[in-house]
Amino acid sequence: MNNHQVTRGMQFTGAVVLSIALLAGASCKKSSSGGDGAKPPIVIGITADASGQYAASGDSDRRGVLMAIAEFNAKGGVLGRPIKWVHLDTETTPATGSRVAERLIKQDKVAFLVGAMSSGVANAISQVAQKYGVIYLNTNSSSPSESGENCHRVKFVWDGNGNNFAQASVKGAIGKFGKKWLLITNDYGWGHDTSNGTRKLVTKNGGTIVGEILVPQGTRDFSATLLKIQQYSPDVVAAAVGGDDLKAMRAQVGQMKLGSKYAWINNQQDWPDVYGLPRTDLFGVFGTTWYHGFDLPGVKEFVARYQKENADSKIKTPGNVFYNGYWATRSLLEAVEKAKTTNNVAVIKELEQWKIPAKDRMQDHDAYMNPKDHQLQQTVYLASANLDSTNPDDLFKIVSNTAPGEVEDKDSEAKCKLEAYEATPAYEP
Amino acid sequence: MNLLPHVVNGVALGVLFGLLALGFMLIVGVMEVINLAHGSLFALGAYLAMEIISPRWLGAAGEGFLALPLALRYGLALVLAPLLVGVLGMGLERAVRRTYGKKAEYGLLLTFGAALVLEEAIRIVWGPGEQNLPVPDSVNGGFVVGDLIYSRYRFFAAALGIVLMALVWVFLERTPYGARVKAGAHDSEMVRALGINISRLRVFVFAFGAALAAIAGIILTPIWGLRPHVGVDAVIPAFLIIVLGGVGSFWGAVIAGQLVGITVGITGGFAAEWSMMSMYLLLIFVLTFRARGLLGKKSALEA
Repeated sequence: MNNHQVTRGMQFTGAVVLSIALLAGASCKKSSSGGDGAKPPIVIGITADASGQYAASGDSDRRGVLMAIAEFNAKGGVLGRPIKWVHLDTETTPATGSRVAERLIKQDKVAFLVGAMSSGVANAISQVAQKYGVIYLNTNSSSPSESGENCHRVKFVWDGNGNNFAQASVKGAIGKFGKKWLLITNDYGWGHDTSNGTRKLVTKNGGTIVGEILVPQGTRDFSATLLKIQQYSPDVVAAAVGGDDLKAMRAQVGQMKLGSKYAWINNQQDWPDVYGLPRTDLFGVFGTTWYHGFDLPGVKEFVARYQKENADSKIKTPGNVFYNGYWATRSLLEAVEKAKTTNNVAVIKELEQWKIPAKDRMQDHDAYMNPKDHQLQQTVYLASANLDSTNPDDLFKIVSNTAPGEVEDKDSEAKCKLEAYEATPAYEP
Repeated sequence: MNLLPHVVNGVALGVLFGLLALGFMLIVGVMEVINLAHGSLFALGAYLAMEIISPRWLGAAGEGFLALPLALRYGLALVLAPLLVGVLGMGLERAVRRTYGKKAEYGLLLTFGAALVLEEAIRIVWGPGEQNLPVPDSVNGGFVVGDLIYSRYRFFAAALGIVLMALVWVFLERTPYGARVKAGAHDSEMVRALGINISRLRVFVFAFGAALAAIAGIILTPIWGLRPHVGVDAVIPAFLIIVLGGVGSFWGAVIAGQLVGITVGITGGFAAEWSMMSMYLLLIFVLTFRARGLLGKKSALEA
């Protein structure tokens, strides 16, 4: 078995071929709407992940954007112009995000860019968008840095961020579970930003951080992390782990039945990440911005519309990711209507003053855009697994809701330095 | 005392890594094809096992089957799913056959294409979201050693991995068919000249390698989680381990699996941010001093 012809040269060639094939694949993964209207269409470039760590969430994000577009097209488009869309896969990779944004702006002449799951990708896209003056909606990346040091005049952030969720949970958890906190941090921007926010809040409220375990992106084996947690023996484990890493960690915690041994405070749990999993994997308390089980006006109709238009989706009920994609796009198009132009500065000024009543948004409190950092301020919910139900869609039990004013992320606001309007290139597609 | 749990954990992890690389090693060693579809076959095995354990598509007809104990259905899946993937492996070998004797890139491109097709097919059939491969309660949960809880499933998986590795070793070293496989890897023309049907041998080896990938998928996805692109998580460490161990060497793969497992386990415990990087640093370190890997055969390029 030891005699063979596979050399290091072949291995190197393999790596080169693989890279070329991946690049070629990325450039081919394009889908778009067809048809022509009388007036020139407004083209929306969708930058949702279709592969990589956030592929499942990216699919939900895209579906939310498309439902909003379909609604507007059904009533004649915006400013009398039909809305078209082009989707390119950002592969959960910042470099691809930059390339895709450049291509959508220069080649496909899109009016707006919409979609994000990863803060690294969102940051990369927004740098390109700012260069050209193209409005970009970060729909679902929840790193505080997105509305902090990486904010831009053209970028608007629609998800709750790590600091919002931490503020909703930390104070209560210290009183209820104890003061010894251990941080589990995904070793990239979002993880560090979120854990830093939690650290500040824990310290401020009289708690102690007994340690921090950094988890590299792409980690699939959490056995060493789980052993370390036991060696630290904390009262509370605050985890800022996302995407596939979180899925693997959750499966392993569930398998060892450690979910009930410690008080777990998880950051936001995206619906596509938990859908279809056993409830034992859904341990601790976690954040969300929306749940299809809310007893609020409009929710049932929204769910019915989702089910009608997404019959092909394996996810039978809409979640927070879909909701954010939908609301971001809907708000953008409403802002264009209100501004009566697609001029970027005019639309930006509309969005900076954007307010959405709770009854429209199907949340408990009114939502509003913070003009200083461009993050939508909205109700933040804490939830746990619903162990009283066996319905596969009825996964969450909502524990609390907190008004946006109580969980504002002042740290990010202080770090955000928006470019001046004059410094943003004019863009009127 | 703090180190020991991480070493024990690393050894168990190493067995799983070794298991992951086994099918990959077999196909590279015998066929001289770097099978980039290994990860997709790994994922497909897990998805098929999930369907065998819970055949919801059977509707009312499947209810009787679902009433059987999970352990029985799991055992059945552990046999049937690899067989099905093995059959698919035979089909894949038919396609790869056209690349024999040509530059290595042809085989690479073909298996890479197959990997893309398989992953996309999985996505179409089962959707892009996370799925759950259930395991019997008897191997679920944790057990306490000292003050620490270990995963019972992880040690069950490692034990299963050891049994499988032993079976593969017995097959290769103690059976006439294993001798033909090894001879085919050593000098296929001579084996053909001796009247052995080398084409059939290759079909068998490819199917066997694919089935081993499927078994690794069934065993590992309850730990890693199950999603269409989980194969990418499998193919990279598998490739690294066979290069580290020496391409085509059974014991090389086993030892390299252990080295990677212990390295990742210890760095995970004491410098977690380096745990992923540590296996690549180990590879660089070993290849710097021993370019052919730990137990790889000396090549013509070396003095």
